[in-house]
Amino acid sequence: MNANGLVRGLLGALLLCGCRIDQPELGGPLPNLTSEQRAEFLEGKKIFQRVFEPKDGLGPLFNSVSCAECHEDPVLGGVGDEVEVHAARFVDGSCDTLFDEGGPVIQQDATPLLRALGILKEVEPTNATIAHRSTPALFGFGLVDAIPDATLLAYEDPNDTNGDGISGRANRTIDGRVGRFGRKAAVAALFDFNAGAFPFEQGITTPLSPVEETLNGKPLPPGTDPAPDPELSLVDLQKLDTFVRYLAAPPRQTFSSYEDQSLAKRGEELFTSLKCSACHIPKMKTGPNPVKALDRQTVELYSDLLVHDMGPELADICVGSTGPSEFRTELLMGLRFREHFLHDGSAKSVQQAIERHGGEASHSRDKYKGLSDPDKKALLKFLQTI
Amino acid sequence: MKTKTLLMMAAMMAAGFALGALADDTQQMKADLVGQTMGGRESAWKFQSADQIKSLKVEKKDEVLNKRVYKVALELQATNNAPRYAADAQVEYTRTGSGWKIHHVGLLSLRRMK
Repeated sequence: MNANGLVRGLLGALLLCGCRIDQPELGGPLPNLTSEQRAEFLEGKKIFQRVFEPKDGLGPLFNSVSCAECHEDPVLGGVGDEVEVHAARFVDGSCDTLFDEGGPVIQQDATPLLRALGILKEVEPTNATIAHRSTPALFGFGLVDAIPDATLLAYEDPNDTNGDGISGRANRTIDGRVGRFGRKAAVAALFDFNAGAFPFEQGITTPLSPVEETLNGKPLPPGTDPAPDPELSLVDLQKLDTFVRYLAAPPRQTFSSYEDQSLAKRGEELFTSLKCSACHIPKMKTGPNPVKALDRQTVELYSDLLVHDMGPELADICVGSTGPSEFRTELLMGLRFREHFLHDGSAKSVQQAIERHGGEASHSRDKYKGLSDPDKKALLKFLQTI
Repeated sequence: MKTKTLLMMAAMMAAGFALGALADDTQQMKADLVGQTMGGRESAWKFQSADQIKSLKVEKKDEVLNKRVYKVALELQATNNAPRYAADAQVEYTRTGSGWKIHHVGLLSLRRMK
């Protein structure tokens, strides 16, 4: 065999086994981390997996006993089947995120000390709208965090000046930063997202949130939270943040058969021609970053990280400056590993999720509905590569 | 001058010094808070400039060994047209070789003001 034949043979073997060069392992660390950073990743993973008990500070109100309890499928850092309850009040165009009534997350479980008093969970606030939220996968979130604000802002078109029917805008957090995390893009930075998980999801106080969540705005009954505050140190919070930050983006899927490859290619063309890619922007680039693995990297996130009006059928709660029908474009990276779709997990298939798009996505949805069966199959095949 | 009057003057001077010290603490703290983040998720507040701190009142100050902990009441506003928030926070300083250095800020409560 000559050299050309050898190269062709090796490439063919790679295609046949469905492999790709330089693809990170799902749930593994970013490529190009230093050995020290990989050690930090593993150290943070321990905090992510740590199961908290009431003696460690769990609760008294909580949703889960560990990060890993919800972010678990198909591997650590992934999605979960838990669906959370969130609440807010939208009155006269103004959003009340219920900070002084226990916050927007309604905890669904309680520790034995609280249960002994007949309190089994937090009560849904009166006159509030209730929403459900599925657990997002965390893969590649460090890369998403490293995308400069200017990149997002360049995609904004709040008044639809280009007349394409799409008018995305960047959400702003209460302190005025550009939001990108959470289904309403109400969280600006990955660290804020991670730091909030402990008090909101596990009832664990930290130096940044040193007091327990209230019971619908009222202090918890005395003696129900025996662990001294803060229940998690700043060092452990930073370790956890590092683990999430260094989680690699999910590897893309390649198909071994020529037929599947062609179908996926056709699907990708449709993804563009149907203007799905106008909001689900395939890739962005991170900015300069002191961590080499995050520095000027391409991230295939399939989102513009902007909020869009998705129509009245999907509308639920407001959050900050986003109205009930506005949602951040869902990141599609890792889509093939999910079993539940849309922000609330209510769609049982990708097809259902597409068909329930409304508002600014109505035109693309209608064009999808009008596709021939082979073209629909091609689009879905392409989505299986993400 | 009677002893009683002297004692009163001394007490007033001490109170004046204490208030002055707190005022100094307040100005320095506003500068120190810039760059710090408190809370998390939707309630996270990153102090991006001292201008966002519309008022800061030190309500309590404790000092133990190499740690100072202030309880403060804040009024915060991201920009001039943005909603204003009332927050209670715990600001912790640690003693270093060059003096007191801010360590972190904890959010105790937050509410949107009417």
